[in-house]
Amino acid sequence: MLQFLSKLAARSPWIYRINAGSCNGCDVEMATTALIPRYDVERLGCKYCGSPRHADVVLISGPLTLRVRDKVLRVYNEIPHPKVTVAVGVCPVSGGCFRDGYTVGADIDHYIPLDVIVPGCPPRPQAIMEGVLKAVEIWRARLEESVCSHS
Amino acid sequence: MTNVLEAVFAILIFPGGLFVLALGLLLKGVDRKVVARLQRRVGPPLYQPALDIIKLMTKETLIPDTANEVAFRLAPVLGLTGMLVTAALLPIGGVWNGVTGLGDLLVLLYLLPIPAMGLMLAGGSSSSPYGALGFSREMCMMFAYEMPLIASFLAVAVRVGGASGPFLSLPAIMDYQFQHGPLLLDPVMLPAALALVLFIPGTMGHGLFDIPEAEPEVIEGPLLEYSGPLLAVFHLMSAVKLVVVLELAVALLCPNPLVAAGGGGVLVNLLWHICKCLVLLMVSVTCFRAATGRLRLDQGFSFFVKYTSPLALVSLWLAFLLR
Repeated sequence: MLQFLSKLAARSPWIYRINAGSCNGCDVEMATTALIPRYDVERLGCKYCGSPRHADVVLISGPLTLRVRDKVLRVYNEIPHPKVTVAVGVCPVSGGCFRDGYTVGADIDHYIPLDVIVPGCPPRPQAIMEGVLKAVEIWRARLEESVCSHS
Repeated sequence: MTNVLEAVFAILIFPGGLFVLALGLLLKGVDRKVVARLQRRVGPPLYQPALDIIKLMTKETLIPDTANEVAFRLAPVLGLTGMLVTAALLPIGGVWNGVTGLGDLLVLLYLLPIPAMGLMLAGGSSSSPYGALGFSREMCMMFAYEMPLIASFLAVAVRVGGASGPFLSLPAIMDYQFQHGPLLLDPVMLPAALALVLFIPGTMGHGLFDIPEAEPEVIEGPLLEYSGPLLAVFHLMSAVKLVVVLELAVALLCPNPLVAAGGGGVLVNLLWHICKCLVLLMVSVTCFRAATGRLRLDQGFSFFVKYTSPLALVSLWLAFLLR
């Protein structure tokens, strides 16, 4: 029964975006091509939410700049469990073309566990979709684990 | 004693409670699917809102340290309870006459703002600045959309009462329409009907009036700090509220059943009632929100004061003249 419920629940992943100092390229890909109007993730049950407290799947773009680092970590901690993280673009994992910049500290995965990495500068919309699908798979496993461990 | 049992049954099972929850989630699903098709997307399955509720039930509940915990937990429950009681009051033509002795149009006027009150309490107790902004926006919009609601209630009451003074009882309003045809086809009531159709997106916060929970502006306002089961209760509340405002408009404007009540007629009439709700949903929520964008708070406020309220007042005035 619980397993069945968690399977149903896993069909409603809500997406939240964090811009950790991105140049906006990846954000444009996420907002305008990949996630809502053209390729329609709503058919998978996804929904963009404005508040981190409603989120299940977190998309992070940009090299973690020193100025936003604490704020990103704070927002990340406000997301209720179970959650899953997707790094969109090369910046979150390596800093991309900003890697030598004086404002860029360590890579994001020193602070936040990254579950799926979607490389590209910016990545193609299809790649972002695939990343979201993989993240939903991981999230489903975590959801089942947390639901079944409560009982 | 039987009256109490009947009221409890009406609030918890039918036509409040389970029935209205299921219908609300279904209507929300239809709404999302049709909006997606209008935008040439595939859209989520019809039962997506139910999946969302199940998902939210499995999530963790986070409560901000600075929030007032009692009010924070109470707000969604308050809103949902208020709406379930309201749903039990509303009559369905040929199926259900409403809980007798529980109230009439005046009680409805007090019950309808309860979800908005719940949202305000939520925004105020969450200690978030965006919650406070949502609170003030919700309150401004409530002042704006209550006026056309009261005016069209009065117009209906005066029209139905005729020479013997206004009728505030819902069964009396239904009886009048069974005898004289639906008020929707009454030319005197047309402006009030239009005002009611505009009131629905106003109170639900859709389309032009998506102001209190504007996601890109105030980050879902009062709901910002909610997560998990408490957020699920808010979503249920909004689903029930959707059914309640649709059923209310149907009861006031066109409650006529398809066949005589009794036997299998009840089921036919119930389906007929749901069809009427669906049509109204398409007109006043789905197409409206797919076609329009958000107004600013002052524009939304003056829209109701300038255009919607006069419409309802015209009906009220005509109904008075033609008593």
